Amino acid sequence: MLEMTLDKSKVQEFLRLLGENRRLFAPVKDRMGTKFSEVADPSLVCLDGLNTNLSPKEVVFPQWETLYTFKEDHANEVKLAAQETLLFGARPCDARALGLLDQVFTWEGIDDPYYLRRREKTCVVALACNTPGEACFCTSVGGSPVGEIGADVLAFDLGEQLYLRALTERGEALLKEASTLTEKATEEDKQAVQQAAAEAEKQLQAIPIPKDLAALKESFDAEIWEELGLKCLGCGTCAYVCPTCHCFDITDETKKGVGRRVRNWDSCAFSLFTLHGSGHNPRTTQAARYRQRVLHKFLYCPENFGEAFCVGCGRCITNCPAGLDLRAVLERLSSLAKVT
Amino acid sequence: MTKKTNEKMGGNGWEPRIVAFLCNWCSYAGADLAGVSRIQYPPNVRVIRVPCSGRINPLFIVKALQTGADGVLVSGCHPGDCHYISGNLYARRKFALLKSLLEYVGIEPQRVHFSWVSAAEGPRFAEILGKVTDSVRSVGPASKMIKKFEEVA
Amino acid sequence: MKQVEETLRQEVAKLLEDGTIDVFVGHEAASLPLKTSPCFVRSPKEVDRLVWNRICTSNLATYLPQLFKRPVGLKGEWTPPKVGVVAKGCDSRSIVGLIKEKQIPRDRLFIIGIGCEGMIDRHSVGRALGVVGLADAKVDDKSVQVIGTDGREKRIDIADVLAASCRECQHREAVLSNLTIGETPSSAPEVSHYANVAEFESKSPQERWEHWVGELSRCIRCYACRQACPNCYCEECFAEETAPKWLGVTTDLSDVFVFHLGRAFHQAGRCVDCGACVAACPQGIDLRLLNQKINKDVEELFEAQVSLSLEEAEALSSFRMEDDQSFMTEP
Repeated sequence: MLEMTLDKSKVQEFLRLLGENRRLFAPVKDRMGTKFSEVADPSLVCLDGLNTNLSPKEVVFPQWETLYTFKEDHANEVKLAAQETLLFGARPCDARALGLLDQVFTWEGIDDPYYLRRREKTCVVALACNTPGEACFCTSVGGSPVGEIGADVLAFDLGEQLYLRALTERGEALLKEASTLTEKATEEDKQAVQQAAAEAEKQLQAIPIPKDLAALKESFDAEIWEELGLKCLGCGTCAYVCPTCHCFDITDETKKGVGRRVRNWDSCAFSLFTLHGSGHNPRTTQAARYRQRVLHKFLYCPENFGEAFCVGCGRCITNCPAGLDLRAVLERLSSLAKVT
Repeated sequence: MTKKTNEKMGGNGWEPRIVAFLCNWCSYAGADLAGVSRIQYPPNVRVIRVPCSGRINPLFIVKALQTGADGVLVSGCHPGDCHYISGNLYARRKFALLKSLLEYVGIEPQRVHFSWVSAAEGPRFAEILGKVTDSVRSVGPASKMIKKFEEVA
Repeated sequence: MKQVEETLRQEVAKLLEDGTIDVFVGHEAASLPLKTSPCFVRSPKEVDRLVWNRICTSNLATYLPQLFKRPVGLKGEWTPPKVGVVAKGCDSRSIVGLIKEKQIPRDRLFIIGIGCEGMIDRHSVGRALGVVGLADAKVDDKSVQVIGTDGREKRIDIADVLAASCRECQHREAVLSNLTIGETPSSAPEVSHYANVAEFESKSPQERWEHWVGELSRCIRCYACRQACPNCYCEECFAEETAPKWLGVTTDLSDVFVFHLGRAFHQAGRCVDCGACVAACPQGIDLRLLNQKINKDVEELFEAQVSLSLEEAEALSSFRMEDDQSFMTEP
């Protein structure tokens, strides 16, 4: 395991070097805090924020992409090449979310080439959190502010320097590429990291997560969905800011004899999400749609993939225009589970 | 386009494409009259006949600009002459706001035009089309609102 | 403010007890600082959930039409509920609009009006904090005391974080109500109306275009603006219609333009400038600059005010013979 330190004054140089033959995505300042952006100028990179307002999932799973184009009698595949990409400064929750997305897009041995072409070329340098954000609850859903899943390199902010730990071969290769700028981590550094990790985990409050899947199934007809449905506005904000939401819609667009088939993010909160061609809609109420969102993450995904599809980043909570808080919903579901 | 017309139009081959929404009862008939009277007017216009200018959803105009029109002309009956009594008067309010809104977001005002043409005003229709075509031509091919696709082989 | 909150709770308890209303729509505290959530109170025992403070930013009118919809699949007779709601000036104007557009019945609505001095815009507080999150906040009459997730404290003048709509608000009291509680709000500030629009209009066409390219390229098509808007109650939005298909669902700038132009236009003569769209936008897009332009035009061209009374006709469902036609190429 390669463990290095990088003086913080050299971060820009580090990124410039690694960005030479890669697309570089990193957090930059934004009016909503920070956002992931493709950066050409590493001096713009801002590592002071915690979670970016939007998740970095669009680096590997863009909001929309063309699957193929067509003309009267034939279709053209789109080129599936993707460039080497460095996703720098994603928080451990976001890195873990990429690991979850990987499971979906390779589910049951069926690979999604559109997703994988980008994912396979993406090297993730996760940045561990020293303090939690305003709505963070990663430890409650099996994550950690210093978690390693989904990342190739895990970085710690030690004040004067960044500690970098390679987690995969790709991560190791990346660190070697920049070895002129880094130094081998000392025992002292490693101890500092351990201490920081312990500190960080301690600061997160645990919230109850309903884990009894049978009881969750029972909650399908529970009353709580009714009121949540009244509150829920039916916008797609929670799904679009979520690092693990992966539902998409496929539509055709045509124009003067040519067309293209595009895949777009979709959200189960939209009433059109389940609208059939016949006009029938199996999810008629917002209550049913909100329930779907919660149960998909905490019941159906555990059934299908063995774990909940929530990494506790809290973006849905900070961004919900109706003030809905997933943590509160989970708490209520947990107490329901206890009763039944 | 023949070489001759191309030269006449300035030589670069580009000709503005203008979508004209004409009401059935006045402006369309006016356009018809211009035609049967053999009055020459620029061939840049693609006419879409609608029952009344009040039928025109402002989205028609936005959509025309999105799908590649360089300009849009909307024409209906003169105020007071609407076949449906007041369709054009409701429409007028919508058009005033839309014209202003498009200009506000930076779309060239020279692209979107409104007029009243009666069924008896064939020459006036031809004249307006000349004006509108010149106006659209003056701002060149549209690009801002147009939805672009990747090249399809 | 605390006292108004107490009065509100008492009044709502009475209304629920004597059967005047079946459900009351108000605000309750949300778990994050400076955030509230709509709440639906059905029993006098629950009235303590109701809050009234400077963060009751959302427009509750948005939540009303759904309560008057016949439950899907219900057979037999159904009487719509009697609904109570607390309304600021803007909420009440939206309610007036919804009544006029026949989305909610006046006779089954009990409106409690409360004068409003302006609500806090959470995005503005976020901007004051910069890249760190908001860990805690306390609000008093004059200021907001915030603590960032980095532990730093900051005191912000409340005037600096009021929602933009509130700063220019001219209707601080409910224009329609069954009951008014609280004190009369201080008179509206002398602000130059539509100053932001006028300033924007003075820019060059290219600058204006580039501004909107920048703003709208932030849009993620989550439709939070639409869903938070009381005026957007269409069962099927033009943005999602497939026959005809007005626009694609991508974030291609062209589609985003058509969506926002279309949505803004559908607000013409109806927008009460409550700021719900701006508050809801997770990307902080200043949609108000678009909506206010139309409001300005409606006011100047048609001398119309939006939803101030049940009697007046809306600007776009009326006309005058002598309406302006100077915009026309050949009138």
